Amino acid sequence: MTDAAAPAGQAELTPPEQPKLNRREFLGIAWLASLGFLTLSVGGLTVLFGLPRFREGEFGGVFTPGTVADLPAVETTPENFPKVKLWLSNTPEGLMALYKVCPHLGCLYGWNDQEFKFICPCHGSQYQHNGTYISGPAPRSLDRFVIRIEDETGQVLAETPADGGPLPIPENPGALVRVDTGSRITGKAHA
Amino acid sequence: MINSLMKRFNIPPRNQWRNAIGKVIDDRVRIITAGLSIRELRAVMRGDPPTEKPNPRYKVITTSFIAHLRPRYYPQAATWFTHTFRLGFFTTFFFIVEVITGIILMVYYIPFPDQAYGSILEIESNVFFGELLRDMHRLGAEAMVIFSWLHLLRTYFTGSYKGPRTFTWLTGVLLLLMTAWLSFTGYLLPWDQLAYWAVTVGTSITEEGPVVGPQLNLLLRGGVDIGTGGLLRTYLQHVILFPLLAILFISIHYYKVSREHSISLPAVVEETELPPEKKKEANRRIDLIPDLLSHELFLISIGFFVMMVILYFRWFASPLETHANPQATPLDTKAPWYFWWLQGLLKIDPAAIIESLVNPLFETFGLSYRLELSLLLNSKFIMGLVVPPTLVIILMGIPYIDRNPSRLARKRPFAIAWGIAWIFVFIALSFMGTPQYGIETPPATRIIQDLAPEEGEGALREIPYAELFNRQTAYVVGKDYGADLCPGLSYQPDPEGDVNNVVVGCPHLTAVFNEFSDRLLEAEAEGRLPNLNAKLTVEQFQAGLVKVTPHVEWTDPVTGSPKTYEHTYFLHENRAQGE
Repeated sequence: MTDAAAPAGQAELTPPEQPKLNRREFLGIAWLASLGFLTLSVGGLTVLFGLPRFREGEFGGVFTPGTVADLPAVETTPENFPKVKLWLSNTPEGLMALYKVCPHLGCLYGWNDQEFKFICPCHGSQYQHNGTYISGPAPRSLDRFVIRIEDETGQVLAETPADGGPLPIPENPGALVRVDTGSRITGKAHA
Repeated sequence: MINSLMKRFNIPPRNQWRNAIGKVIDDRVRIITAGLSIRELRAVMRGDPPTEKPNPRYKVITTSFIAHLRPRYYPQAATWFTHTFRLGFFTTFFFIVEVITGIILMVYYIPFPDQAYGSILEIESNVFFGELLRDMHRLGAEAMVIFSWLHLLRTYFTGSYKGPRTFTWLTGVLLLLMTAWLSFTGYLLPWDQLAYWAVTVGTSITEEGPVVGPQLNLLLRGGVDIGTGGLLRTYLQHVILFPLLAILFISIHYYKVSREHSISLPAVVEETELPPEKKKEANRRIDLIPDLLSHELFLISIGFFVMMVILYFRWFASPLETHANPQATPLDTKAPWYFWWLQGLLKIDPAAIIESLVNPLFETFGLSYRLELSLLLNSKFIMGLVVPPTLVIILMGIPYIDRNPSRLARKRPFAIAWGIAWIFVFIALSFMGTPQYGIETPPATRIIQDLAPEEGEGALREIPYAELFNRQTAYVVGKDYGADLCPGLSYQPDPEGDVNNVVVGCPHLTAVFNEFSDRLLEAEAEGRLPNLNAKLTVEQFQAGLVKVTPHVEWTDPVTGSPKTYEHTYFLHENRAQGE
């Protein structure tokens, strides 16, 4: 309203010169910026402080179930490691370290030896020996951990592929099987 | 004698003494009460008008810290019971109950997985008034959740979030979230199965979040699964972080009400033409001292009285299940009832709904293309992390969305209808969130679980020992046993009580067996349990110990293979019942 009512002559007036950034203003902005940066870094540090770190052998860290020679035989009952919540499944295609928590609602599923598959007690989701979804309300196949097989010198002989598929076991009975329970690959969703 | 002595030692006469002492006391009283004399206090108690001018009762509000947080007065119409229902007051009341009982419980509670459950048992069984305090804390928490929701609904339906009070509404929504988070963090502390798995399932929702999801989950749980670190983190949030935040936000919220905008006037007073005498009465000041204070004292007494009645008659008792077992998930894991709506949301699969709406269209147009969304839309992510925050943002934004200036219900029919619709949506979602809804449990497991749940009592465990002992019988489902399973049996339910109080037969066992067989036969008739063969076996296992085994055999309707399910329960003669 006021703009429209303004006298036409006002447009001819030269606009006030844009004030330059003076020293006081610059210092003020610099102060605020550094305070903002400090706040952000303290926030970030708080998150880093709060994030738990895991040691070797702990759930969340690298766990060594044994050597290649200790693994369960191919196509037999998977081995249960309750402390680190995983099933070690030796399938014909290779080794799988399956995370024991059902991807449906977080229940712990179990192994059924007669039917030779995993069955979740809560809502009845079922999975094959290699973790592939069979039936039930679960949205995807079982999650798996990355396995690395290392020889005595610590050199990695084989590692679970990025898609989380089975890991073919190298012919080296003395090599260590190392499961990284901190890096979990989610199972493939089914249609 | 005394008079001559007083003269001898030059002591002033008694009335001067009295006045001098009276003045000293009166000065002290004025300092303690921040401005009220003894005479004024008496007038306050008697309901008399102020004794001095200017009104010393208002002086209290300017000089006292505690009183300056309070309003000087509210207009009479704002204090109508049917306008506020005192819901905000009671939310605060329960918050204070939580703070007080919580501090006392902290004396005994140990936030460590090995000892947490034991310390709760200790509080329940070996602390003077411990059980009462824990029950008060739990009841107060649930009441606070209920009252904060009701307070929100009242504010919505009276349109009190409008005009100058938009920011107050925003802080109120934040307080609602804090209340929810405080109750959720408190839920884990007893470290029983109910708590452990509810919180495991709850925090696992964050895992689905993009980029920072897994980190957030680690931050909350203090590890990949909930352990020592997770319990301590939850505890610290519950007893320090969120109480402090809640106190801060309650202060802001309350300051807005008490000092800035007052309680909203009822819309009829604010927006309609009332006769002048009614208008005058509606705006009459109700002073803090003494009227509001005495009313609050009355409300506090009512609050405590109702709590004590509920707890005395055991209409409410805090649950405590078996010790948390991170290696075994109980059947029917459930969230606290005030989060069932969220659990209900999680059961909805948006991909399936869109597919079922769109694909029939493709079919009618003769297209072979079918929409496949389940790989794109992760239902846990959408229903757990997209929908609830969106709902919260909408809730916060209501004052900015609703631009209708009127607060009268009849002038805002859309807003009222919208609010009522949401109430029904929440009730429906909560129903969907109950553990039995929409989750397929094999029928035999379901029926046995309902009779004797993994956690809690259930009808089967409540059968008195007297109805079971000295038996070696298998009751076969489908066979007719007449009205009672144990003809000829009679027992005294309370051996030390009335001799004439005798139970004939075994009504509890009969009821359990009837329920068992009725539901199994129903499932057989529906084709879910073909070739049903079931029995309920009752055996004397040892002296004083009875073994009850529900046993079900059927043919799997899909694979055709025979299936068996049974569960064994041991009931001891001297076991505690009903507690």
